[in-house]
Amino acid sequence: MNEFIEQFLLEARELVEQATNDLLMLEQSPTDKAPLDSAFRAFHTLKGSAAIVDFTAMTRALHAAEDVLARVRAGAAPVTPALIGDSLSCLDQVVQWLDQMQADGESPTNADAAADAIVARFAPGAAPDPPSSSESLDHAWVDKLLERNRAPGARARSAVRYAPLADAFFHGEDPLAVIGSLPGLLAIDLEPGQAWAPLDGLDPFDCRLVFTALSTASAEELSHWLRPHSNVAHVRPLVEPALEDALSPDACRLLDAQLRLLGERDEDGRSGRIASAGRVAVNVLRYAGRSTEADQIDQMISSGQSGRVGEALAGAIRAILDGPAIGAPTAPTTGPLAQPAQEARILRVDVERIDTLVNLTGELIVLKNTLGHTTGLMQAGADARTLAVALKDQHARLERLTTELQRSVLGIRVLPLQHVFQRFPRLVRELAASVDKSVRLVTEGDTTEADKAIVESLFEPLLHMVRNALDHGVESAAERAAAGKTPVATIHLRGARVGDQVLIDVEDDGRGIDVDRVRRVAIERGAASPQAIEEMSDEAAAELIFAPGFSTAAAVTDLSGRGVGMDAVRTAIGRLGGQVTLENRPGRGVKVRLTLPFTVMMTRLMVVEAGGEAFGLPMEAVIETVRVPRRRITPIGAARAVVLRGRTFPVIDLAEALGEPRAAAPAGDATLVVVAADGRLGSLEVDRLGERIDVILKPMDGLLAGAPGVAGTTLLGDGRVLIVLDPRALLQ
Amino acid sequence: MTVRLTNEGLISLEGVVLVEDAEPLLQLLLTHPAAAIDWRACDHAHAAIIQILMASGIAPIGPPSGVFMRTVVEPALERYRERAFPKGA
Repeated sequence: MNEFIEQFLLEARELVEQATNDLLMLEQSPTDKAPLDSAFRAFHTLKGSAAIVDFTAMTRALHAAEDVLARVRAGAAPVTPALIGDSLSCLDQVVQWLDQMQADGESPTNADAAADAIVARFAPGAAPDPPSSSESLDHAWVDKLLERNRAPGARARSAVRYAPLADAFFHGEDPLAVIGSLPGLLAIDLEPGQAWAPLDGLDPFDCRLVFTALSTASAEELSHWLRPHSNVAHVRPLVEPALEDALSPDACRLLDAQLRLLGERDEDGRSGRIASAGRVAVNVLRYAGRSTEADQIDQMISSGQSGRVGEALAGAIRAILDGPAIGAPTAPTTGPLAQPAQEARILRVDVERIDTLVNLTGELIVLKNTLGHTTGLMQAGADARTLAVALKDQHARLERLTTELQRSVLGIRVLPLQHVFQRFPRLVRELAASVDKSVRLVTEGDTTEADKAIVESLFEPLLHMVRNALDHGVESAAERAAAGKTPVATIHLRGARVGDQVLIDVEDDGRGIDVDRVRRVAIERGAASPQAIEEMSDEAAAELIFAPGFSTAAAVTDLSGRGVGMDAVRTAIGRLGGQVTLENRPGRGVKVRLTLPFTVMMTRLMVVEAGGEAFGLPMEAVIETVRVPRRRITPIGAARAVVLRGRTFPVIDLAEALGEPRAAAPAGDATLVVVAADGRLGSLEVDRLGERIDVILKPMDGLLAGAPGVAGTTLLGDGRVLIVLDPRALLQ
Repeated sequence: MTVRLTNEGLISLEGVVLVEDAEPLLQLLLTHPAAAIDWRACDHAHAAIIQILMASGIAPIGPPSGVFMRTVVEPALERYRERAFPKGA
């Protein structure tokens, strides 16, 4: 499969999942803007990606959905269950297409009809689907099919009706081959969809065939098989599987009784009870015609007399009673099916790196033996001082080894930036052509490595940045000529590793950001108060492009200008623990820099104490720690501030911010930690500063996943759980 | 050629008969309305070919060589012919 398509499939599935979650969340709380924005972003990106792989039908369908969501965002349309339903159906269709692409390795060519159906759903005033009047028709074809095929009909479990579209032949399909490939095919019937024209007027390429077929496969399996044709194929189950081999109520009662017998705790006569319960169960199952299960239980009771048999037997009987989920799918199961599991991700690893790991393991084993020796000495009553020296030495060696081990393991998880950079040249060419600008893309430093998780999450933000540069930054050739620039614009995509950080620059030589225009638009859109915007420095005003919902493009294009780009970039990069900075040179271009950690796994923390508890603060956010006399902290309204080296910082009492009211203002100096996040600066007042530690941060999951202000947790050396704070949330 | 007129005046379908062969087959049927169709050497025929066989009502000389053609398609075609052309065209 083409690598583009591979990447597209991977990302598209993630986006579909994201959009689905967001839509469901939106349905729960229709007034909440966050899921709406997020769903909209997902549709937008999905549409963009579909355009990249030249899948026009999918682009069309998603564009329709996106338009409706845009209206909702603008407040022009309400969130209705129908809207959510339509959007989800659109995503279901997308998943079907993705599955088809996964199987064929290229975008489906027969997707137009399905796309039309999706677009029609979103058309203004579109009526909801008329209630299916084909129910009786449905029966008619199944009955006819069974009547004509009595013998195979007795064995068939499901029936299929498949009426390919008239232009199926033009799309290179062979409907007969589709039917022929159905699993468990018993017989087919051929019918013309309408009366034949006389031979001399017959169009041989106009498909008029209707196939009906009988199969021994389950309706579910057939639906799965026919998924690429789900718009023209219907599957009906012929037997209700639940009736097929369900146990009679009497049989269930008998098995239930055996279960109770097995559950008795009395040790006396235990093996006898097991044997008798087992025998009854075998007989009941044999009588019910479930001989496989009967044999299994038979084997179980004859295999041994150990106490385990009782439990295993009880488990088996319980499983039979609960039954495999044999509901009764009486309705046609042509609806969307569950998404297939994501395939295992594979990483290519240099043999040298594996060798390093093997060597390290060897050294660790040596160290373990040394420790054993020291323990022996200790038991023999060796001098405490000698032991302390030995232990200290061994601890130092262990520390060195674990650090190396950590580095090696993380080294295995790295990918070169090339992995994501290589997708841009073609993309830039096409994007540039679509806006009629000539642009040259220069990529540098694509051998720079970064953690796999980071590299793989970079495409979407970079795509937004490159699009913005192309759409807003780069001028038309005439404009460039007038400004004395070369007619072909240049966009640089640059990667570099600096210490523990990876820097990625997207730089264009276009017109730069028109700060006055940004100010005007920001005031119009209410991104901040007019006064605040007027007072902003030019640099700060340029940063307004990161504000949610900000967009300076007048027209909505395929390219960008939905006002989701830069907002999305900042969110995505922030999620990776990185930062976005902007360097605006009016008339000469814009440089957007992503500063990312080399790895997502290791985080350096500073432990602080507040309100009697320890908390972690990510080191990357900590600028400095200072002790200041309390009189230098001045109250301003309800808040407090401190002036450090000529700059004013707000002072946030960490204990108070975390909901622990302070009894009385402590005396003495205040300990402040100056932190920066998302371009904001502030200082946190803490009780005490603790050590600095390297940890593998575990993000919160389950109920706590959404807890605001918490980045994750880790374990301290003494076994306590350390809560790691998210400075971004604290400064807001 | 997967569709050709044999020296004996039969229209022969051989091997895998593709959608591109539908047009030539139709032309042959129009120019030689009396010719019989022989599909004994046919491994697979595209749906477009089957459609022409259905519309023409001709009973091809069989059985075809492909298993799916022989066991599934030919009987279905025969049943269709019995329904659509009751007296045997």
